[in-house]
Amino acid sequence: MDMLARELKMDPAELRRKNFIQPNEFPFTTEVGAIYDSGDYENALDVALKAAQWDKLKAERDAARAEGRLVGIGLSMYVEVCGIGPSSSLPTGGWEHSQVTIERDGRISATTGASPHGQGNETTFAQMLADQFGIPLEHITILHGDTGIVKQGIGTFGSRSQAVGGVALQMAGTKVKTKMAKFAAAMLEAHEDDLVFENGMISVKGSPTSGKSFATVASFAYIPVPLPEGLEPGLSDEAFFEPSNNTYPFGCHITMLEIDRKTGEPTLLRMIAVDDAGNLINPLIVEGQIHGGLAQGIGQAMIEEVVYDEHGQLLTGSFMDYAIPRAIDFPRFELTSAVTPTPVNPLGAKGVGEAGTLGSTPSIVAAAVDALSEFGVKHIDMMLRPEKLWRIIQGGQS
Amino acid sequence: MISSAFEYSRATSVDDALAKLQAANGDAKLLAGGHSLIPVMKFRLSEPKMLIDISRIPELSGIRKKGDKIEIGAGTVHHEVATSSLLQQACPMMAETAATIGDPQVRNRGTLGGSIAHADPSADYPAALLALDAEIHVKGLNGARVIKARDFFQGLFTVDLADEIIVAVQFAPLKAAAYAKLYQRASHFAIVGVAAALDVSKGVITSARIGVTGASSHATRLPDVEDALTGKAPSEKTIATAVRTAGAALEDLNSDIHASKEYRRAMIPVFAERAITAALARA
Repeated sequence: MDMLARELKMDPAELRRKNFIQPNEFPFTTEVGAIYDSGDYENALDVALKAAQWDKLKAERDAARAEGRLVGIGLSMYVEVCGIGPSSSLPTGGWEHSQVTIERDGRISATTGASPHGQGNETTFAQMLADQFGIPLEHITILHGDTGIVKQGIGTFGSRSQAVGGVALQMAGTKVKTKMAKFAAAMLEAHEDDLVFENGMISVKGSPTSGKSFATVASFAYIPVPLPEGLEPGLSDEAFFEPSNNTYPFGCHITMLEIDRKTGEPTLLRMIAVDDAGNLINPLIVEGQIHGGLAQGIGQAMIEEVVYDEHGQLLTGSFMDYAIPRAIDFPRFELTSAVTPTPVNPLGAKGVGEAGTLGSTPSIVAAAVDALSEFGVKHIDMMLRPEKLWRIIQGGQS
Repeated sequence: MISSAFEYSRATSVDDALAKLQAANGDAKLLAGGHSLIPVMKFRLSEPKMLIDISRIPELSGIRKKGDKIEIGAGTVHHEVATSSLLQQACPMMAETAATIGDPQVRNRGTLGGSIAHADPSADYPAALLALDAEIHVKGLNGARVIKARDFFQGLFTVDLADEIIVAVQFAPLKAAAYAKLYQRASHFAIVGVAAALDVSKGVITSARIGVTGASSHATRLPDVEDALTGKAPSEKTIATAVRTAGAALEDLNSDIHASKEYRRAMIPVFAERAITAALARA
């Protein structure tokens, strides 16, 4: 895209704008058969351009160049595949499972097969149940990772925890809530559809003081005397959710970067990221995911490389030689979000685990290409090793 | 990635450590911060039967004035050097050099003595010590010796030490000195690091000492650059002229996955220029 834009002497953002799939074209079947669920790519671009102050950014770059500095701007738009996925596309099965149990004391324990390993899903999942049942977050325990406790599950990958696992959790919660409402209706002599769950109480809509505490109803559900007609004791149920399609989140990343003319060392000046992951449950956790993704993208684009010698011996066998990105390698991350829900699942959530990596990597390399444009550079392979850039500069000057 | 088995013994004084070293009859290594030794032990490039821990010997640590010189105990960790107000004021290059080593974990464990005894060709301290014309004080069973930095670093991981312990480093503090380096992005060792120390009097550079590390098998001085600066009035042109062929005489340039010989050679003038410019700004 950037090569074409340069050829056409066109702003790379405007060239992309001319080629977007429009919001009313979704679901959109691509040439390779993927069915994009929803999208508003132009909005992501506009939000990013506004956050970056695009025209001002270009003017800053040009002013720096006038001083002889090698400064470049890279812009990337991406669409990724998340929320994987229907069983037809996943040999292991594409569903996810959850079992939600309301204990006799009114606490909730819920299992998930989308086992978190640092993403913060325990928090997000507990938040969802706290919202659904109107009880405190700390009364909820998310159980995972132990096959003795979690009876079904596929796993956490393909940015599917929320868009598949979260939906299964929500569905299991809804089943249990429906049953609990029947017990509460019997206790309150009300109709189950008229009940509200909030502030740790279950009460009739419009008369909050008439209700029973959540724990009282939970206890009654296990020792129901008399047993309401048509019910059996207990409050536990499970759900499987298999999405009809993957989700396709998207975004726009903008990077400004400077290359030291004498050494070839690249330095990130700014990184602006707009990631549209559909509806967000916990924006702070989503930001954390994007920060992690940006860090990985920076690593991949700039410092991480696996090197073997001609005999197949790994030369980057320790962290003395294989660079892991550290705080010192990052600029301040400037995040802005846009929200286009997916129709594929009832939460409207698309997934975000890999977003930061997808957008940042090409935008960084594109910025390096732009910075070296005076040398006629049209493409650079990752990663941006200083010597590689120095050689381009040397070649350009000779 | 697990070292072979070894005995461990903590020394209470330098003399105690020397006695233990002799008793082990060549099978022991001294352990200070362990940031050079432990990694090579994990790769089993070194398999000592005994480690003698010298990290808690009081006489080995600390930064102090000693007459008109500054003395840094060999067991002083990089973080302490980097944050020493005495060094920051009297000899900022030394603090600056320490601050560029590794990362906070490394700087809080690794020691000055350990770094120079190991003499990694990319270590930062050797360049600074060469530029400061530092003296390395060592002690052995046969007594104490003082070795000039320029005689101490002899080759790849090779220094002038024989069953001796580095006790301290001494140098005359100098403000007009600076260190500039090209970072290796994984380890933060120097691909090329240059330390410049200048004496400037009445608008003339009266003497210059330039140490370079990372470029070749061991840290070394750049006499051509030193000569080209001496007697000149400091200016951008003076510096540019002096560094033009910096490092051109070096023959055993390093080459690895991080930088080729050619790139290293080209970076010596760049970082020499930066170090000299920064040193002059402090004059």
